Order: sequence, then structure tokens, then C-alpha cells
Amino acid sequence: MILLTSIPDFLNFSPPMAIVSTTNLSKTYETGIFRKTQIAALSGVSLSVEDGQIFGLLGPNGAGKTTLIKLLLGIAHPTSGEAAVLGHPLGSVAIRQNIGYLPENHRYPPFLSALQTLMYFGRLHGIPRSHLVGRARSLLALTGLSDWATMKIKKFSKGMLQRLGLAQALLADPPVLFLDEPTDGVDPIGRKEIRDILTTLRRGGKTIFLNSHMLSEVEEISDRVAILNKGRLVHVGSVKDITAHRLEYEIQLTAPPSPEVLSGLRALCKHVEVSGNRLTVHFFDQTQTQAVLDHLRTSGLALESFSPKKSKLEDYFIQLLKPREEA
Amino acid sequence: MKALWLSVLTLRESVLKGTLLFFFIVSNLILLFFVIALGVTEEGGTTSLTLFGSIISPRGIEGFNAVQFILRQLFAGSTFWVLLFGLFATAGLIPSMLEKGTVELYLSKPLSRTSLLFSRAAGACAGIIFNLLYFAIAIWLIFGIKAGAWEGGFLLAAISTVPMFFFYYSVVAVTALMTNSTGFSIMFALIYYFFSGALAAREQVLYIWWDNPVFHRLLDVLYYATPQISPMIESATELIGPDFMRSRGMESAGGFDPLPFVWSLLSSSLLYAFAAWYFSRKDY
Ligand SMILES: Nc1ncnc2c1ncn2[C@@H]1O[C@H](COP(=O)(O)OP(=O)(O)O)[C@@H](O)[C@H]1O
Ligand SMILES: [Mg+2]
Repeated sequence: MILLTSIPDFLNFSPPMAIVSTTNLSKTYETGIFRKTQIAALSGVSLSVEDGQIFGLLGPNGAGKTTLIKLLLGIAHPTSGEAAVLGHPLGSVAIRQNIGYLPENHRYPPFLSALQTLMYFGRLHGIPRSHLVGRARSLLALTGLSDWATMKIKKFSKGMLQRLGLAQALLADPPVLFLDEPTDGVDPIGRKEIRDILTTLRRGGKTIFLNSHMLSEVEEISDRVAILNKGRLVHVGSVKDITAHRLEYEIQLTAPPSPEVLSGLRALCKHVEVSGNRLTVHFFDQTQTQAVLDHLRTSGLALESFSPKKSKLEDYFIQLLKPREEA
Repeated sequence: MKALWLSVLTLRESVLKGTLLFFFIVSNLILLFFVIALGVTEEGGTTSLTLFGSIISPRGIEGFNAVQFILRQLFAGSTFWVLLFGLFATAGLIPSMLEKGTVELYLSKPLSRTSLLFSRAAGACAGIIFNLLYFAIAIWLIFGIKAGAWEGGFLLAAISTVPMFFFYYSVVAVTALMTNSTGFSIMFALIYYFFSGALAAREQVLYIWWDNPVFHRLLDVLYYATPQISPMIESATELIGPDFMRSRGMESAGGFDPLPFVWSLLSSSLLYAFAAWYFSRKDY
């Protein structure tokens, strides 16, 4: 005991704590009469989410994103593999004590008002009433629902419900949030507001596990992104890894480039595609961009347009998913 | 503490949904009927109970005895319907927790699934029990004040419906968990209700279907393995005016028999345990 505690600080190497870690986590649902139909919702997922990150889990519908959250929160039980949240084994009450959850397509009792809903679920979380009223009101303010605090939620729009769901997830001020498609059904302005709330929360030190089938919802705010397809992880990495592909531009020329111009271009950057007057060029950084443009100009070629290739990440996403879908 | 809260919130849910309110209004209408209609008359030297002026005391039974007799009839005849009515009011409370989109919210709270299930069941029963006791005490007061007959046995019998409903609700809990459906829960609980009546009288009703000893033993097992509703009601009826009934040598005056309650406690505990086990394993 003494030995352990007297280890000097510089030897006490502590890696960043994994908030979520899974090893070969798999889930096969058995449905139908006699449980004959088997659906492999997740197959051998291993990942870890570190403290203070926004972790974006991406994938098309049916990829298994919701299933993964449900396993982590003990709402469904894994078929095999292991996982821990905040160091606690799956299914333990300690996990649920310390997380906030916004389920996909959540439904609150429609006869309650927004404020009553927060009071109801706050009490279920074990938050004392004295603390709860103020907390609920400030969260309604944060999510822009103050004016509708006493309105029955059966009259709420989808966007308002999502914001209420977010307020509910934040009630106990948990260090970890699991948000399943938080911007689903929300209009563009509302989506921006929700993203802003999430960035503010991350700045406050929260770890956020974010599910989405829409890349644009995740790429802007996530620190790390995992891509899930048909129950398998096909990519995990920092957003920078992926957004490197962003430096891809489309150059429309007034005339097709000569072979000499092309070889000059290929000497400047690795990836050049030609199709008639159009070039697709891949840059590593902005200085390369200038070099390429100068080269084109000195070769006497006029530019009709020069534009970053739109949602390259989207393409990358689709590329990642493609081979598996064909298989 | 959280579990207690869930019970209270469940109770509030059934109040807000209006089902309990309906139950409460109907109870009050019946009470009002008795307040207005019940009377006492001193015709021909004997005291008789009247409803809207016409005598309801059976011939030869007068005064306090008539109250006991009528309360027995009332209890034996209405408990069945009251329980049934209570079932309609509460059968939806477990399925409403299990609805897609809602169940995730409940299951992500720091409560065990067992306490979720039992607090929900307790909250459901609490509303009905509150109503039942309110109704019983009011009836007791009305008969006491109007006819001067304070029959404590009626209150005891009313209290015995508390465990009755809780035992019966185990059937609802199991069906609700297995089907996730209010409709199925009500339907199955209804079928069970009538089936349990037939089971209690299996020697006369069900044995004759098939004269096979294995079938007969199977029915016996079923009878003991499920809550025994009509035997409990019959037994509790004996709490009302027991000595009087025995002294008149009336039929079925066997006195209060705790056995149906004991068996129902055991079988419903088994059903609740199964429900909790099933719930704990299920994926949502
Ligand atoms: N409770 C369930 N029972 C049976 N199959 C399910 C269940 N939940 C999800 N699935 C199936 O598992 C797969 C993954 O679903 P889900 O996790 O909801 O994906 P996502 O959230 O990525 O859209 C789908 O094929 C879905 O139909
Ligand atoms: Mg989903």
C-alpha cells in the first residue's frame, strides 16, 4: 500500500481515461415466432471514447448505432464481447447514475407539460425537488423552451421535442451524454442551435457520444468519428484525418490541358484527374494550391471556375460503405 | 426512494389520464344513489331497510341483521365488478411504460428493472385501492348513519380487497410484459378472470369436459398456481356479520378462510417473480 502510494508523480503514467470502451461487442437480435430470425445488429465492435470528447458515430439507417448505445446503457443485452462505461461493467446502475440519454424517437407522456416532464424524469433520476425546479427552468431557458414551459407536450413540434429531450438528458448534469440523432426532424436553425449547445457543453468538460446518419451533423463538432456499417466499424479516426480529403478542388478550364501541362501538374501534386475541361485536384495544403494555380496560369490556361469539391466527406463516407454493400 | 417516487408518479399518471377520475365519479354516483334512496321504515312493529321507500330487508330479517345481510350481498355481488373495473383503469400502466421511445427513458434511469416493475404495479394498484377504500368507508358510513348499524366486518372485507387486487395484477403484469399491449393485457386478464371462476368450481364445471384423471390434476395444479379470485371474494364475504349468519344456519357460512389468500399470495409471488425475471432479460 505504502509502496503504491509513494510512487513519485513523474512515474505515475496515467493515460487519458476511457469513458466508453468496448471490445468485440456484438449483438444478434432474435425475432419472430420461436426466435428463428437472427439479425446481426452489431458484430465485433471495439472502440474507445476518451474524456472530454465529442465522439460522432456515423452510419446509414440500420447500421447498429442505436443498438450500440442501448447496449452501453443496459437497455439491450450484448450477445458477446465486453464493454465498460466510466469503468463500470454494462448493466450497472452506476452507469445510469452518471449519464444523460436522448433516445431516438423518444416519447414523453403526452399529458405532461415540458416542465412537468423534466420534474417527472428528474425525480426518477433521484434529483431532490428543491434542486430540480431551478435546474429544470434553467435548462428550458438553455434549450429555448421557457415560453412553452407549461404547455402540454402533445402540442410540441418535433424540433421542440428534441430540445426538451436534450434538456431531459442534461437534468442531472451528468459528465457523459448519449445523444441518438439529436437533430433529427429539427429545422436548419434549430440544428445549428443544438450544435452550439453541444459545443458549449464540451467546453464545460462533458463527454458526448453522438449518433447520426447525417455526416454534416457530426463533422463540424466531433473530435473523433467512427463509421459503422451493417454492424461493423469501418473507420475510426479524428475528424482531421477525414477532413484532409477536403482539400480536393474542381477546376474548370476554358480548354482541355495539354499532356505537358498535365505532367507539370502531376509533379506538383499527387492526385490529378482529367475529364475534358475539368480537373479534379488533390492538395495537401494551401501553398500547393497557389503553386498549381500559378502553373496553370503560366501555361496560358484560363480558369472558368475553381471550387472546393462539395461534401468530400460525404463521398468518402459513401466510398467506405460501398464495398461492403456490394459484398 | 426513487422507486417510491415512481409509484407516486404512476398514480399521478392514472389520475392525469382520466381513467381513475372516471372510476371515482362512478363510485360517487353509486354512493349518491344510496344516500338518496336508502331509508328505514317501522312497519308492523319491525324495522326494515328501504330503497326509494320499498322494503329491501328480506322477510324475517330485521334491523341490524338486515344491514349485515345486505352488505354481504353488496360485497359478494360488487367486488367482482369493482376489481374488473379497476383492471380496465390500470391495465395500461405497464404497457405505457414499455412503449417504444418511452421505455428507453425509464430504463436509462438509475433504477433496477425490478424496482421499475414493482413501483409501476404498486402505483397502479394504489389508485384502485384508494378508490375502493374510499367507496367502502363511505358505504359503511351511509349504512351506519341511516340505519344505525355499524358493521365493522364490512370494512375488514373491504381491506381484504387490497391484497386481492395486487394478487390479480400479477396476471396483468406478466401479460403486459410479454405482449407490450394494453389491449392484450385487458383481454387476457378478463379471460383469466372468468377462467379462474371456472377453476374454482372445476369439480362441477371443468371436470365434466373430459373425464380424464390427468386432465383433472392439471386443472388442480392450475387452480393452485394462479391467484384464486372468487374463493378470496367468497371467503372475505364471511367477514361480514359472521356470527349472525352462522346462528341462522345459512349456507356457505363457513367463516373466513385464509387459505385462498395464502395460495394466491404464493402464486402471485411466483407470477411477479417470473415477470421480474422476464423483464430483466428482455431487450428494448
Ligand atoms: N429490438 C430489436 N429487435 C430486432 N431487431 C432490431 C431491434 N432493434 C434493432 N434491430 C435491428 O438491428 C439493426 C440495427 O438497428 P439500429 O441499431 O436501430 O440501427 P441505427 O440506429 O444505426 O439505424 C437493424 O437491422 C434493426 O432492424
Ligand atoms: Mg438509430
